[in-house]
Amino acid sequence: MLTLPEIGLYFSFLMFLVGLAGVMFRKNILFMMLSVEVLLNAANLAFVCASKLTGTIDGQVVMFFVMAVAACEAAIGLALIIALYRTKASIEADDLKALRG
Amino acid sequence: MDLNFISFIVMGIAASILSGVMITRRWPVSAAMVLIAIMMLLAGMFGLLEAHFAAAAQIIVYAGAIMVVFVFVMMLLNLPPEELRYGGITWGEMLLIGVGVAVAIVLGTQVGQGMLTRGFESLGFVPGQAPAGARPLYFPPSENVKNVAASMFVDYLWAFELISFLIMAAVVGSIVIAKKRSAENANAA
Repeated sequence: MLTLPEIGLYFSFLMFLVGLAGVMFRKNILFMMLSVEVLLNAANLAFVCASKLTGTIDGQVVMFFVMAVAACEAAIGLALIIALYRTKASIEADDLKALRG
Repeated sequence: MDLNFISFIVMGIAASILSGVMITRRWPVSAAMVLIAIMMLLAGMFGLLEAHFAAAAQIIVYAGAIMVVFVFVMMLLNLPPEELRYGGITWGEMLLIGVGVAVAIVLGTQVGQGMLTRGFESLGFVPGQAPAGARPLYFPPSENVKNVAASMFVDYLWAFELISFLIMAAVVGSIVIAKKRSAENANAA
């Protein structure tokens, strides 16, 4: 009989796979960033499950650090999207072949 | 099969299915709304895992602050719905995806098999007992915030301070990136 956090690790695995598929198959940068949020949420779930499994608090603390990194990633990524939309009038990843603005 | 167990399974399955729904939306805003639902479900799972402060922060920081930023940018760009393209995957890509999923399933089931047959001790941990040097997860759960704070500000103080530098850099960087075009216009004028 699996316990609650062990089942949570499997859900985390499943959500990570789905988020990875989103990052790989969507061409819209906005959707790619939303999929990255799913990836980070799956990692958070794994951290909290590991905290419960090992009986230590460390996993929950690392989960807060992941949350802070996700906030930074959202701020920088969305600023980049706005800058790209101003120069290219598009946020399709295929339209951004050249590195020069 | 108590109520906690059943609701955990239901929330996990719902979050997994909604992740699949999210990556197939055409409108960015509906994807953001589905992502908020996923985060709420994950907060419920955190609560059932007795990580109550994590559950509250998940709703306040993720579903509140970060998703508001996403929706704000979607409003700012005012994009048309995206045309979904199907069948654009080549055989080489299919092969790579198959290999990746196979490796992930093998690794996942190896760990799962170890947990099922030999228990979680096979991974080097003893359930309910903290490894040497780690801060134990105290009960009652009503002291969750206290334990998180004790660990964060004593054991992980350096990581905490470095994260604050990272947030500072992100704030300055996002302002610089978003202001770039107007600065060039000012120079040209």
